[in-house]
Amino acid sequence: MTDVSTVAAAGAINASKIYGKDDSEVRALDDVTVDFALGQFTAIMGPSGSGKSTLMHCLAGLDALTSGRVLIGDTDLAQLDDKQLTSLRREKVGFIFQAYNLIPTLSALENITLPMDLGGVKPDQEWLDTVIDKMNLRNRLSHRPSELSGGQQQRVAVARALASRPQIIFADEPTGNLDSKTGAEILAFMKHAVTDLHQTIVMVTHDPVAAAYADRVIFLADGKVVAEIENPTAELVLDRMKRLGS
Amino acid sequence: MMASPVIRLTLRGVLARKFRILLTILAVVSGVAFVSGAFILTDSVKGAINNLFVELRGEVDLEIRTKIAFGDSARAERDPVPVSLMKDVAALDGVRLVEANLLRQTTIIKPDGEPLKTSGPAFGISWNGPDGLDGRTLLEGVIPTKAGEVAIDKASAKRAGYVLGDKVTLVGPIGKGEFTLVGLTGTGSTSGGGGASVCAFDPVTANEFLGADDKADSIYVGITAEASRSEVQQAIEEVLPSGYEVITGEQSAKETAGAINEIIDIFGKVLLGFAAISLFVSAFLIFNTFAIIVSQRLRELALLRAVGASTRQIHQMIIGEGLVVGIIATGLGLVGGLGVAKGITFAFNAAGAAFPAADLLISSRTIILSVLIGIGVTVAAAIVPALRAGRIPPVAAMRPELGFSALQRSKRLIVGLTTLVAGITLFSVGLFVQPGGTVGTLGGSAIGAVLLFLGVSSLSTTVAAPVSRAISRILPFPLRPMTNSVPGRLASRNAQRTPRRTASTASALMVGLALVSMVSVVASSVKKSFTDQLKTSVTADFFVTNLSFQGLPVAFGERLAELPELGSVSPFRATRALINGEEKQIGAVKPEMGDLVDIDIQKGSIDSLADGAILLYKDPARDLNVGVGDSIDVTWQNGKTSKLTVGGIYADSSVAGNWLIGLDTLAEVSSAPPVDFFIGAKIADGVSIEDARAAVDKVAADFPSAEVQDQAEFQKSQEDQLNQLLAIVYGLLIFAIFIAILGIANTMALSVFERTREFGLLRAVGMSRRHLKRSVRWEAIIVSVFGATLGIVVGIPLGIAVAIALPDSFVTATVVPINTIVTILIASVVVGIFAAIFPARRAAKLDILDAIATH
Repeated sequence: MTDVSTVAAAGAINASKIYGKDDSEVRALDDVTVDFALGQFTAIMGPSGSGKSTLMHCLAGLDALTSGRVLIGDTDLAQLDDKQLTSLRREKVGFIFQAYNLIPTLSALENITLPMDLGGVKPDQEWLDTVIDKMNLRNRLSHRPSELSGGQQQRVAVARALASRPQIIFADEPTGNLDSKTGAEILAFMKHAVTDLHQTIVMVTHDPVAAAYADRVIFLADGKVVAEIENPTAELVLDRMKRLGS
Repeated sequence: MMASPVIRLTLRGVLARKFRILLTILAVVSGVAFVSGAFILTDSVKGAINNLFVELRGEVDLEIRTKIAFGDSARAERDPVPVSLMKDVAALDGVRLVEANLLRQTTIIKPDGEPLKTSGPAFGISWNGPDGLDGRTLLEGVIPTKAGEVAIDKASAKRAGYVLGDKVTLVGPIGKGEFTLVGLTGTGSTSGGGGASVCAFDPVTANEFLGADDKADSIYVGITAEASRSEVQQAIEEVLPSGYEVITGEQSAKETAGAINEIIDIFGKVLLGFAAISLFVSAFLIFNTFAIIVSQRLRELALLRAVGASTRQIHQMIIGEGLVVGIIATGLGLVGGLGVAKGITFAFNAAGAAFPAADLLISSRTIILSVLIGIGVTVAAAIVPALRAGRIPPVAAMRPELGFSALQRSKRLIVGLTTLVAGITLFSVGLFVQPGGTVGTLGGSAIGAVLLFLGVSSLSTTVAAPVSRAISRILPFPLRPMTNSVPGRLASRNAQRTPRRTASTASALMVGLALVSMVSVVASSVKKSFTDQLKTSVTADFFVTNLSFQGLPVAFGERLAELPELGSVSPFRATRALINGEEKQIGAVKPEMGDLVDIDIQKGSIDSLADGAILLYKDPARDLNVGVGDSIDVTWQNGKTSKLTVGGIYADSSVAGNWLIGLDTLAEVSSAPPVDFFIGAKIADGVSIEDARAAVDKVAADFPSAEVQDQAEFQKSQEDQLNQLLAIVYGLLIFAIFIAILGIANTMALSVFERTREFGLLRAVGMSRRHLKRSVRWEAIIVSVFGATLGIVVGIPLGIAVAIALPDSFVTATVVPINTIVTILIASVVVGIFAAIFPARRAAKLDILDAIATH
């Protein structure tokens, strides 16, 4: 369980999400309670249909729970209207998606500062420089997404997620579309963001190697949390996956 | 970094989709160009005409004319002024010059014996030369000073092929004359008469040749430099007998120009009406483009939402894109408006209308209205797509399938039905209840039609898939039904796959074609009614009309009446009068008209016209609650009043109008120079049609502007006129249809773009470029046939409703023209083929690897 001394960046309490009705009812999340500590890199794993993506969508305020509560910091998402959710996403949450991550008509830098621009907030230049250098994007800033490689695009996406210094960053299969070398590079960047820049990241993945970069792995199956590993290695994760699968 | 992110995203969004937005801009441009063109044209022509009349009035300071009881305008019928009055006026202090203003129909006969056709009236005038008061100038030669001399406006002389010194035959109101061309004149700064032909004679010759009998239309007065105009005006009024008035030259010019300006205003309004139709159709195109662009950008918009864009910012972004399109299109449209105005002027001048040369005027009203309309329509059309875009949930960035349902959600059925019912109601109320006169009728039915179109468009989504399927099964393609081949099946499925897109694309075409079907139903009904009427109520063997709208000299009818080969002959004249406080047009005929036109007398007799009676159509008789033997008070335009006895009530007003009096009654009350609008004649018993025709043609040879027709010719010429009008209406509707074709092309291009991957896959598994092209083309054909079907289904009932609503004197039968419907359907296939040219080529050009590699 989570160390009591750490403060939670986000969490779900008795979270349930049901799609469809009656016979076609699907319990994507079934009474899930989970915490994500500040400054930690957490991976959520599970087979297809286990509810890992749904959990992330609900945690990030992209989707609403059928019952239960989601907290970002000490804010209960259920209490927020669309407007407040929008500004929460802008200020407290960062996103990294698998692909189609960037607005094709904006340059790399414009993509990175987009959430702040949308909120009418001036970016913290010092922090922005740190992030850009950390993601090694200094000489790519004026390029359009179409002029960047897949790995560079994903680095821009990571930089965008970090730029507003959110409370928590959600990543959805961030390396799913990349070759293993570029994927490893991105995961290393994300790891740096947690260790060096003290960010909090929650990542959904089905790749044990990717999960090994995390401080902690949560396993989901059939909408429930079924296991948890601290300081995982790829072998440990794979081993646990095999046992869960059988 | 400076601009707000919404503005930046908007501008980048437009730039990134330049090509897709180009066609949209083009559609708006043509609508705005029409609107501004209509304004520019009417402003410019009116300005030029006002100038022309001011120039024409020259140094006329005051004008003396007879007073009339009502309706002061250039078209009012005034009794002439005796020339003898001029002496008294000339003797007054401050009066420099007094001239008789005399203007009568005079036709120039070309060297080949044919009358010179003019787009305006053909005049003969009394002229004192360039030193006189009017604004006519002498460009070449000398002024006519004695009998046998004439000066003709330079433009007409040139068109007729006459040079100075030539012998010229002219036909005046009382007969032919031979003249020597001694001078060429101009009007103000121009060499013509603004489309009219003008023959100028010295005052004595004019009085004789124009049959003025020492009377003038009015008297022009020029004052001395030191005199005060108002004092002179007062002095003249004092010496004049009662029944005369003195007006200023400016007012006179204004009245004359006003009559012509009214016609130009009507022309401008018609043009604006078509501009409105074009814009309405463009709105569908804009709406469609934005709706498709929004669905293609689903992920991007969801991503924006996910990283913190608010619903409002998404709305602002999409509407902002509409705004950018609107601004660009309006700017181009204003420039296009100049082109439209120039083009129309050119086309009409080529057809002989002789619009005065005018600088194109762009008033601030033109700019403000064009900007409001152009930007307004674009932004309005972008609102619904923007609202839809705002509904895209952020989670769609990762799961696009969730976003599509947000785009689809709407209460279409309820909204569509409500709009449709409201539209039909308004249309019917406008047409049949006719609240608030013409404005209410036109306004109500136009707004009703717009709602009706919107309602049908909205509801058509529901039937788009099944109808598309049916069309693809039915369409008789040259070799085999479409659905037997893979491209055909793909085309059919693609049209069904996005019913919403298919429906709104087809709707643009629907509007244009519904109007075409409506007009053709009305036109066929009018034609049929007219032919029926001619068969049942018109019994005359010959009709004589005038080539121009000036009417026929009365001498012609008088000579026809003397021909032994003819039986009954009657002219038809018209005058205006106040009856029961309202201005009415009154027809004047001989009792013989009864043999020529069956007006279906119900009570009394047409012979009573000879005794000074008045005949009424049954409706006004009922409204006034009068019967045979009652009397009606009539005030004529010259102020005289009569108490006329009702001599009969008739039930067919199609030729006779609502009121008829005898020619003698008209001559008693009015001394304005009479003209005949047409003359009807019947062949005498025992005379062959050939002999009668020869006799009539012999008389007509002396009156070159007269056109003699027998029943068949008359019917044909009336139909030709109607067909000409129809051709203009169809021609203007073509623009709306052209915009709809753009719309189909645009949608197809966007669909091809969207299906890049799919096409790549098809090519990869072995579909040929030719098949791919065919598939795109057939889909376009399905969409346009769908649009045509909707158009016919909507347009024909509208046409029938209009035909029923039109007064019985105009339309008695309702005809649905099958050939038009077939033509429209065939044309819509052609439209589809045209619209698909570019998108099909684009689809075929796709590189397989590129297509598959695209996300």
